[in-house]
Amino acid sequence: MWRTENRDIERPQVMTAMEMGTSSAASKIDFAGVSKTFFARGNELQALQPVDLKVRKEEFVALVGPSGCGKSTLLNLVAGLIEPTTGTVTYDGEPVAALNFRVGYMTQKDTLLPWRTVNDNIGVSLELKCRSTSRAEAKERIAEMVDLVGLRGFEGHYPTELSGGMRKRVALARTLIYRPETLLMDEPFGALDAQLKLIMQDQLQKITQHQKMTVLFVTHDLSEAIAVADRVVVFSSRPGRIRAIRDVPLERPRDVFRVRFADSFSRLHEDLWNELKDEVIKGTDV
Amino acid sequence: MSKERGKRRRADGTRTVLAWQIAFGASALLIWEIAGRIFGSAWTSLPSQVAERLIVWSQQDLARHITVTLTEVFIGLAAGSAGGVLAGLALGRTKTLALVLRPIIVVLYSVPLVTMAPLLILWFGLEMESKIVLVGVVVFFLMFFNTFAGVQSIDTLLIETLGLMGATRREEYQKVIAPASMAWIFSGIKVSMPYALAAATTGELLGGSFGMGTLLARAGSQFDMTGLYAGLFVLLVIGILLSEGIALLENHFLRWRHVAH
Repeated sequence: MWRTENRDIERPQVMTAMEMGTSSAASKIDFAGVSKTFFARGNELQALQPVDLKVRKEEFVALVGPSGCGKSTLLNLVAGLIEPTTGTVTYDGEPVAALNFRVGYMTQKDTLLPWRTVNDNIGVSLELKCRSTSRAEAKERIAEMVDLVGLRGFEGHYPTELSGGMRKRVALARTLIYRPETLLMDEPFGALDAQLKLIMQDQLQKITQHQKMTVLFVTHDLSEAIAVADRVVVFSSRPGRIRAIRDVPLERPRDVFRVRFADSFSRLHEDLWNELKDEVIKGTDV
Repeated sequence: MSKERGKRRRADGTRTVLAWQIAFGASALLIWEIAGRIFGSAWTSLPSQVAERLIVWSQQDLARHITVTLTEVFIGLAAGSAGGVLAGLALGRTKTLALVLRPIIVVLYSVPLVTMAPLLILWFGLEMESKIVLVGVVVFFLMFFNTFAGVQSIDTLLIETLGLMGATRREEYQKVIAPASMAWIFSGIKVSMPYALAAATTGELLGGSFGMGTLLARAGSQFDMTGLYAGLFVLLVIGILLSEGIALLENHFLRWRHVAH
């Protein structure tokens, strides 16, 4: 009982209505026979072979695979930015028809608004009518986010003054601040140094566990995938299909700093790497 | 420590450059004055004579002429910009409107606009109205093309990002399209300003009782070289002040572009 109430308070108005209908057994996201072919300049490019995947509510799923295997395409499908060529993508039982604003999407390319400072970029989602946050509350939450991603002191800077890693952190803060029920992340920590990566992974999984978010996390880094996720999905090279799915047997809450030294971690890592390496080699042959 | 020393060195550098520029200008004026006195100044006049004339004018009605020209420039600029920006925003975002109307605008632009001045004088009379319309028309075209290109160059990813957060179409305009277009709009105004001034003075050259162009016309018809130089000098100063003014405004509104290392 307490959990549902908490969720209603924290979710923006846009989402509360949908929360009522969902049961915990149903999938949050369902890919059924989904494939995607792009047509450009008279050529066909199949990005994704038919894929079947069910993501449960509050599940953290990592998508791993060589470049160009369609991982980002899957995220774009859930966000409603593109439509599948075959199959259906279902969100909360309904097919994704238009822009899906129940997700927070952190794209590979950071799309910060160049004319806004760090603070204003982070807070932009709170300015929208569908959220109606008071300025005082917005200020507080922005400050919270700034601390979370470690950018205190840079609040008044413009994106052109920031390094790539810092811009990524702003993008992360901007996505997390409005507490979307689902997070789509496309290699969010790729540009960060090793130490910062671990810190961000730690923060991310703390938040997503606390806010009970469903997460689809794309990464190249197998260790990262195992450290943060409940399940890891390995994709083949283009055109992508699912090659392997493994549950991550590590308990939550996880200490991302130490978890890589556990035996179960190494076993899973070896298992997944065996699946992955053939695809990576195939990809580089082209 | 070294950063401050660097800043000071840079400031000294700029000051040295400025000093050289002033020295260059002053010596040019000196040479003009001396050469004129030696070789005769019927066609070239002398800086001293020009300065004298400026003083005489300022005691007469130079202020009124300047005000008239500036009024024509600013009202024309405002009207033309408003029209050009709105048209640019509308056509830039709506494909069908653009397909239909843009070619028509391009064709109309092929007319050398200042040659429209006699036509406008016939329509609107010899006073300020015809000049304002001329300035407005010139500015409209420049602002339209700039805004149109600007709107088209906006990264759709930025708009999609806000859309995913739940922004309405109106909010997309307010928060992405309008601010993103500002850079292009400012660049349009920077480009339009000298053309606006040219359009106003050209119109005045052709007819009218007041304005810098009328001063030039009067001096020209009387073979008054000193008057011509004086008038041109005033226009030069006005042009510089206008450009600097725009640059200052731009630095304020487009701060985010200029802060990069």
